[in-house]
Amino acid sequence: MFQMLLDGLAVVFQPGTFLMTLLAIVMGTVFGALPGVSATMAVALGLPFTYSMDPVSAIVFLVAIYCSSITGGSIAAILFKIPGVPSSAPTTFDGYPMAQRGEAGKALGVALVCSAIGGLVSALAMFFLSPQLTQAALSFGPSEMFAITFMGLSILTSLDADNILRTTISGVLGLLLATVGQDPMYGVQRLTFGSNQLLSGIEMIPVLIGIFAITEVLQQTVSDDRLTAEDAEKAGASSLDTTMPTIKEWLSIKWVILRCSILGTIVGILPGAGATIASFLCYSTETKLSKYPEKFGTGIIDGIAASETANNAATGGAMVPLLSLGIPGGNAAAVMMSALVLKGVQLGPLLLINQPQYLSATFVSMIITNIVMVFVAMAIAKAFAKILSVPYSILGPVIIMLATIGSYATNMSTMDVKIMAIAGIMGILFRVMHFNSAALILGLVLGSICEGNFSRAYTIYRADVGAMFMRPVAGVIMVVCIVALISPFVGPVLKKKFGKNKEKA
Amino acid sequence: MFELILNVLLFLFLVYAAIFNVLEAPVPDKVERNPYALQPGVWPTVLIVMLLVLIGFNIVKILKEKKGKDDFCFSSFLKGIPAFFKGKLFVGMLLVVIASVILEPLGYMVTCFFLLFTYAILLGDKNIVRNIIVSLALTLFLYLFFGVLLKVNLPRGTVPALRNFALWLESILP
Repeated sequence: MFQMLLDGLAVVFQPGTFLMTLLAIVMGTVFGALPGVSATMAVALGLPFTYSMDPVSAIVFLVAIYCSSITGGSIAAILFKIPGVPSSAPTTFDGYPMAQRGEAGKALGVALVCSAIGGLVSALAMFFLSPQLTQAALSFGPSEMFAITFMGLSILTSLDADNILRTTISGVLGLLLATVGQDPMYGVQRLTFGSNQLLSGIEMIPVLIGIFAITEVLQQTVSDDRLTAEDAEKAGASSLDTTMPTIKEWLSIKWVILRCSILGTIVGILPGAGATIASFLCYSTETKLSKYPEKFGTGIIDGIAASETANNAATGGAMVPLLSLGIPGGNAAAVMMSALVLKGVQLGPLLLINQPQYLSATFVSMIITNIVMVFVAMAIAKAFAKILSVPYSILGPVIIMLATIGSYATNMSTMDVKIMAIAGIMGILFRVMHFNSAALILGLVLGSICEGNFSRAYTIYRADVGAMFMRPVAGVIMVVCIVALISPFVGPVLKKKFGKNKEKA
Repeated sequence: MFELILNVLLFLFLVYAAIFNVLEAPVPDKVERNPYALQPGVWPTVLIVMLLVLIGFNIVKILKEKKGKDDFCFSSFLKGIPAFFKGKLFVGMLLVVIASVILEPLGYMVTCFFLLFTYAILLGDKNIVRNIIVSLALTLFLYLFFGVLLKVNLPRGTVPALRNFALWLESILP
C-alpha cells in the first residue's frame, strides 16, 4: 500500500503533470462556477488537453477537473443563487440567504472547506476500500436503489414544516414533470402533448436554472430593495476576507461533515446515483437529524456543510466502480472512461491488479486537488464577488444571458431555453401559490430514478410490492423513510398529548 | 384570489392531462400481456391522482383562510389585471420569453444584444448610448468566452442574413 502511494506521488509530482493538475483545478473551479457547465461538461471540455498525455496523467488531470468543478458550483450558488452545477442546488437554500445577510465569506468558507473534507474522506475510502465497496454497491438491487431515492424524497415534509401540503404538492409536481417523455422501461410516449421536442423528457438543468436564476432576476426587477453596489460590497467583496466561521461553529457541524462524507461516498459508488442525489439526500438527512430543522433554508452553515460535503464525497465514490470494475458510476465517470478507452486502456477488474498506478495516481490527484482547490476557489470566488458590485441593470440581464447559454449548452437545444423561460415564470407563480421550488427540483431530480427502479423491482419480484422491501437494506431504509415522512404530522400530536399528561401529573 | 384561480387552473389542467395525455402511444403487446410489468401509465396516473387530491385540499384550505376578507373577491382580482400587464414583472417575463423564442431564428448575437439592451432599460438604465455600448461589448465578450474559448456552438440563427453574419464573425475570430 505504501509503495502504491509512493508510485502515485511520483506520477503526480512530475513537473509537467503537476502543472497540468494545477491548470485543471483552475479550469474546473471556473467551469463549475459558470451556470449550466455541469461537472460532466467540464470534464468533457478538458478532454482535448489529455490527447497528448499518457493515460495515467490523463486520469489525474480529469479527476482534478471533476473534483474542482463540483466545488466551483457552490460559488455561483452562494453569491447569485444560481447553482453552478446541479449538485450545488441545495447549497442555494442556505448559502444565498447568508450572502444576503452579508455573510458570503463565511458561507463560501464553509462550502470550500467542507467540499475539501468530503473529497478527502472519499479519496481515502476509494484508496483503501475500493474492491470491498464495489462489491457492496453491486449487491444493491433496484429495490435498494428505489429505497435510497425514496429516502431523498422524504425531505419533502420537512423542507417547509409550516407549509407541508403545498411543499408536498410541489414535490409531486416535480415527480410528474420527470415522467414527461418516454417511460424508462419500455419507451412509451407520455405527457408530451404532441411535442416531439419533449420526447426525450424535461432536462433538469434548464428547469433548475430557470427556477432559481430567472425567477430571482424577475423578482429583483420589481423589488424595491434591489441589490445595490453598497449591498453587494457588504454581501460579497468585503466580507469574503473577514468573516470565516469560528472554531465553535466548525465544531458544531463536525457530525454533519462526518455523516455526509460517509453517506456521500456511498451514494457516489452506486451506479446512476451521483453528486446531485448525494447532496439532496444528505441535506434531507441533516434536516431530519438536526435539533433545529426549522432553521434549515434560512441561512445556516449546517445546510451548506451537508450539501457541499456530500457532493464532493460522491466524486471519490464515483471513481470506485470505474477503477475497480470498469463501470462508470455516473456521467462524468463515463467521460473519463471514454478518455482511457481512447488511449487503449483495458478497463475492468484486472486494471487495479495489473496496473495499480491508476488507483494510486487518482488518489494522490484527489488529495492534492481537494487541498489546493480551497485556495484557488477562494481566489476565484473573490473575483466573482466583485461582479456583484456591478450595477444591477447590467448584472441582471447578464445573469439571464448566462442562464440562457447555460441551458442551451447542455444539449445545444433551443427547446431547453424555452423550458428555462417557462421554469422562470413558473417560479414566480410558485411564489404566488406559496409552493416550494426546491421541492419541485427534488422531485424532478429523483423522479425518473425512482420510477425506473420501482418498475424494475416490481417486475423482478413478480408484482409483489411487499417482497420488494423484505430485503434487509431496502426494508430498513423504507422504515426510516416512513418514520421521517410521518414525523412532522405525528410529532406535534404526540407533543401535545405528552404535554397534557405532564400538566395533569 | 389569484392564488385560488391558479390552483383551480392547475387542477383542471391535471384532469385534462389525466384524461387525454398520460399515454400517447400504444403499449407494446408483450408489455400489456405481462402481469408482472408495471404498465407505463400507472406511475404518472398515480402521481396525477395524488396531485388532484392534494390540490383539492389546498383549494379548500385557501377558501377557509381567505373567506370574508375584503380583497378576496373576483371583482378586485379583475381590477388588478390591467396594472399587472403594465407592471415591470410582466414586461420582464415577456422579455425572457421573447428571447427564448427568437434565439433559434435570430441567433445568439441578436438575442443577446436585444435582451441586454431592453432588460437594462426595464431596470432603469436611462443612458441609452452607454447601454448600447455595454450591451454590444457584453454580447461580444460572452460570445468570445463561450463560443470561442469553451467551443459552445451558439445558435447562428435560421434567418439567412443573420446566419451569414454569424458565420462571417466566426471566420474573423480566432
